[in-house]
Amino acid sequence: MSLWVDQYRPRTLDSLHYHQGLSDRLKSLAASGDFPHMLFYGPSGAGKKTRISCTLRQLFGPGVEKLKIDQRVFLSPSKRKLEINIVQSNYHLEITPSEAGNYDRVVIQELLKEIAQTQQVDLSAKQRFKVVVINEADSLSRDAQAALRRTMEKYMSNMRIILCANSTSRLIAPIKSRCLLMRVAAPSVDEMNTVMQFVAKRAGFDLPPDAADKIVEDSGGNLRKAILVLEALKMQSPDLTGPLSIAKPDWEVYCHKVADLIVSEQSPARVMEVRAKFYELLSHCIPPTIILKTVAERVVERVDEALKADIIHWAALYEVRMRNGNKKIYHLEAWVVKVMSLYKQFFYNIDMSEFD
Amino acid sequence: MFTATGLLSTSSTSLPKPPEDILGSSMFVSNGLLGISPQTVHEVPESESQTTVLNAPSFSFLGTGLLGTDGASSGSSSDTKSTSLSRLQSPDPDFPPISEALGLPPFLPRHSESSSTVMRIPRSTLRATTYDGQTIYLRRKSKVIYTAADASHSSSRSMGNLLGIPIHRLMDRLSTETAANLERRDRELQAQSSIPGKAAVEDMLWVDRYRPRKFIELLGNERVARDALSWVKQWDWCVFGKSRGKKRARDGDEDANLDEFHRPQEKILLLSGPPGLGKTTLAHVVARQAGYEVMEINASDARTGTKPVLLVIDEIDGATGSGDNSNTFIHKLVQLINAKPRKKERSSHHKKSNTGRPILRPIICICNDQNASSLAKLRPHAYQIRFSRPADVHIVKRLKEICEIEGLKADSRALSTLVSVAKGDLRGCLNTLQFIKTRNEDVSEAVIRKATSGMKEADTTVHSVLNNLFTPLTKKRTMELGLTEEEESRYVHRLSRDIEGVGRDSAIATGCFGHYATLRRHDANFSRHEQGIEWLTTHDRLSSAMYTDGDFALIQYLPYTLVPFYPLFQEKSGERVERNQADWEHLQLTRSNGEIFKSLAKCLHTATARYGGNFRHLISTPTLQIEFAPVLNRIISPPLRPVNSQVTRPQEKALMNRLVDIMAALELRFVQERAEDGTLSYRLDPPIDVFVTYDGKRAADIAVSRYAVRQLVSAEIDAKLIARDTEIVEKGKRGKHDFFGKSSSRSDETEIDSTHPSKRVKIDTRDIADKPPTDFFGRPITVPSETTNKAAARKNVEKKYRVTYKFLEGNSAAVRRPVKMSMFL
Repeated sequence: MSLWVDQYRPRTLDSLHYHQGLSDRLKSLAASGDFPHMLFYGPSGAGKKTRISCTLRQLFGPGVEKLKIDQRVFLSPSKRKLEINIVQSNYHLEITPSEAGNYDRVVIQELLKEIAQTQQVDLSAKQRFKVVVINEADSLSRDAQAALRRTMEKYMSNMRIILCANSTSRLIAPIKSRCLLMRVAAPSVDEMNTVMQFVAKRAGFDLPPDAADKIVEDSGGNLRKAILVLEALKMQSPDLTGPLSIAKPDWEVYCHKVADLIVSEQSPARVMEVRAKFYELLSHCIPPTIILKTVAERVVERVDEALKADIIHWAALYEVRMRNGNKKIYHLEAWVVKVMSLYKQFFYNIDMSEFD
Repeated sequence: MFTATGLLSTSSTSLPKPPEDILGSSMFVSNGLLGISPQTVHEVPESESQTTVLNAPSFSFLGTGLLGTDGASSGSSSDTKSTSLSRLQSPDPDFPPISEALGLPPFLPRHSESSSTVMRIPRSTLRATTYDGQTIYLRRKSKVIYTAADASHSSSRSMGNLLGIPIHRLMDRLSTETAANLERRDRELQAQSSIPGKAAVEDMLWVDRYRPRKFIELLGNERVARDALSWVKQWDWCVFGKSRGKKRARDGDEDANLDEFHRPQEKILLLSGPPGLGKTTLAHVVARQAGYEVMEINASDARTGTKPVLLVIDEIDGATGSGDNSNTFIHKLVQLINAKPRKKERSSHHKKSNTGRPILRPIICICNDQNASSLAKLRPHAYQIRFSRPADVHIVKRLKEICEIEGLKADSRALSTLVSVAKGDLRGCLNTLQFIKTRNEDVSEAVIRKATSGMKEADTTVHSVLNNLFTPLTKKRTMELGLTEEEESRYVHRLSRDIEGVGRDSAIATGCFGHYATLRRHDANFSRHEQGIEWLTTHDRLSSAMYTDGDFALIQYLPYTLVPFYPLFQEKSGERVERNQADWEHLQLTRSNGEIFKSLAKCLHTATARYGGNFRHLISTPTLQIEFAPVLNRIISPPLRPVNSQVTRPQEKALMNRLVDIMAALELRFVQERAEDGTLSYRLDPPIDVFVTYDGKRAADIAVSRYAVRQLVSAEIDAKLIARDTEIVEKGKRGKHDFFGKSSSRSDETEIDSTHPSKRVKIDTRDIADKPPTDFFGRPITVPSETTNKAAARKNVEKKYRVTYKFLEGNSAAVRRPVKMSMFL
């Protein structure tokens, strides 16, 4: 019924495939009875959520896997309705506050207060506290983070918070200092290979090692992506024979096309072409920062050594501006024009301004 | 008018009346004391001219605003009436109206002794307004001291002599006095009118003074005016009971009046057009022409006239009504229009329900913006007339006439400049002229330029501003704006004002963005492009900082970030900026794709709920778009052959099962669709295949699934979903079954009937009877009909009972579900 990503996900700390040391620490923490607030961080697809759910199971037993999903409605200060999906068991609760957009503070405050004010009534529960898992914590607004810090201290007696984030850079320092930081690094190539073979074995087929290697290489340390690609591969060519082509996501291919366009010609007409492509990418809901990053990386691959630093520098600059700004396409194009200008200057190695 | 009659009665009857009345009349203020006898009023017109002379001044002595009735209302002499009426109708309302407005007869004695004025204490003038909106100024009658003294003297003497001075002498004195007064007034008035009024005249706006009052005076498109009038005329049958203008009965008119109240098809007239073209004036003039009294929606003094009322709703585009709220003004209005009378005896006023009353009077709505969102609901019910700017020649002609009347020197060229700057706004022109007049200047082009600077700046559009940004000023426009060479070269102020005037700087920024890279001017090292886009990003950062922080003081700087496009990208022969749709289309597409993602996320949510939280990690924002969507598309498109399921190979069968499992779990389906040319196809729903489609092409590595395959898969998915639904139903039933089991064991038949009114299930009584009856504590008791209780019931749950069923077919409207025997056992 489920995808392999879910089907063969380890359920307990013992069955995790890699980061054995981390698992041991988590196990002893769960056993100590003095469980702290925690912050799991690491790249996408490294296994943060898997580890969180394993830890929860270690804390509360299998009852934590009996999940129900509620849709709660919150009222924003301007009386707009916010619908938030909440996954919860008897012992814990998961929220993704980024669903609430700008009003995540309201959601965080109301939910946490509610949890904090209710005692655990189940006498057979292993722990006296409930756990709140906050996904995508790095997209929490500053307001929401500030709202968290007080709650974290005040209601320590019957609530623990587990944050899950890609990086700690967007979290405010008071939050970081209140949590035990757990870095979940991306698995190494070998570790990923083992996992792939494990999945293949459980699914009942033989995975040729070179195919596994290729998938792992493409996934860039993202195990979720690797397993999804593996499943797609198995579906598309069921017998895994012949030349295997590991499909890249379409947006990535498209981004590379854009990069090639930029490098091959520099003219206002080409700027317009690139703009059309950017529009196409943006309209597919690909986050603009990812577009910029992918295109920039590809451009850097293709240009001369001397230009690489500059191009990445400008990409970083425009990404910051893009985050602050509203019209993403302006900033994308600003970077393109900048790169074209740099490239031209480098290529002809003269200042062209007299030719205007 | 009433006071006038009162006075008339006193003065005319004063001769034969006893002296007490004279006392009263000599005061001239206490006119109300005297009874108004109808016959004296009737006498008035017939009385000799002497009386009338006396009459008129006494009328003016009162000096209250009531006097403001002009000739028509005074009604004392027929010739004054006619003259004042002629003044009313005259197209030239310039000449001083006061002498006539007072209703003074022209044959007044001009010369009298001026010595009497010595005694007077001068007072300030009084202001009065006539019914047609004209203001006149009346000098208050100064108190005549000696007369008052005389009067008191005479009254004191009258104690002995009844009347010291004989009545005829008193009367004489009074008449000479009034004559003198009148003469003085007349002179004053003459003096006032000879000097072109400094104070009195200029208190009135020319716009009001020269407002057309008759249909033929209307300026502008005659057809528009005629349309409006003919629409109002269509109401005649409804309002006046008979069709008045039946001289030219046209077939079309008869068809329009299909309504039971003989109302026109459109119950509302909607006049729209730019300001200052005379929409309100037209409405008023047309209403008067057609014999209505105008009632403005905000008129606090709704007078009760004899004429039927025509409602004018001015500036209706400012009314609330854009929302869906049913309490808005527009909504109510539309409700009124659509109101149908409940019963025929609508005329009987006993009925209290106002809700169902139809409108029986014409309504004219006036607005500037015909397409205002708030009017969306009104438009289908309204007869729309669009005003357009009349030809400049006509306006210039009218302006020239007015200038001549006002004694303002103006040449046609200056006036036509004024009209072109004002873009036909007659009100603006008149105000400007009056402004110039007050400064005692002649109307020349330079003066006009000075006076109209800043006029109509806000009327620019995004489009025109963009053209201004990308093309230098033409010679003609420079002339029109009256700029010098130096002013022309200073563009920052001019352009930033332009941009500010539009007020939609982000739209202009988008326009710049759309246009700047298409220009052909050579740019070898991209420096100009770099600068241009740099300014755009600056604009974006500034504006988003402004919006996020709510720091709207920054808005004044936004226009300046767009001005640099002028020096960077202006082209003499540049193409006109075309409307750039790319950004808008992109926005639409993004929105629709966002919706698809949302529905995919919803599918994942339900799958999460169903499969113990399995899919939930895929919902998070970037993962869904960049990892899951492309891979999912590949997962659900395996290479299947469209063959009958009986002859497939086991491997394919497994593949198929897996595919159906996944798709059913995520609630992805193939939906049959018929294209316009009639071909059938299966569409993925939600259409997540758009995420592997770039530039209209699907990714190369995804096999195109054929119609037959999709049909096959679709059938399998449907079967799967049905199976799953029934499974869930049965699970639910099983839960219920336990419940029933308990209840049946604990209760006897009557209890069943009362607590569970289930018609389908009836428990046989014999089963209950089989059970050994127990008391509260579970001990067996001897009397079976006595209490069987819960504790006992819980004890006896395990016991099996035989059950019979009675199924009443077709008896219930409730949802029927398949039920198995085993579920009840």
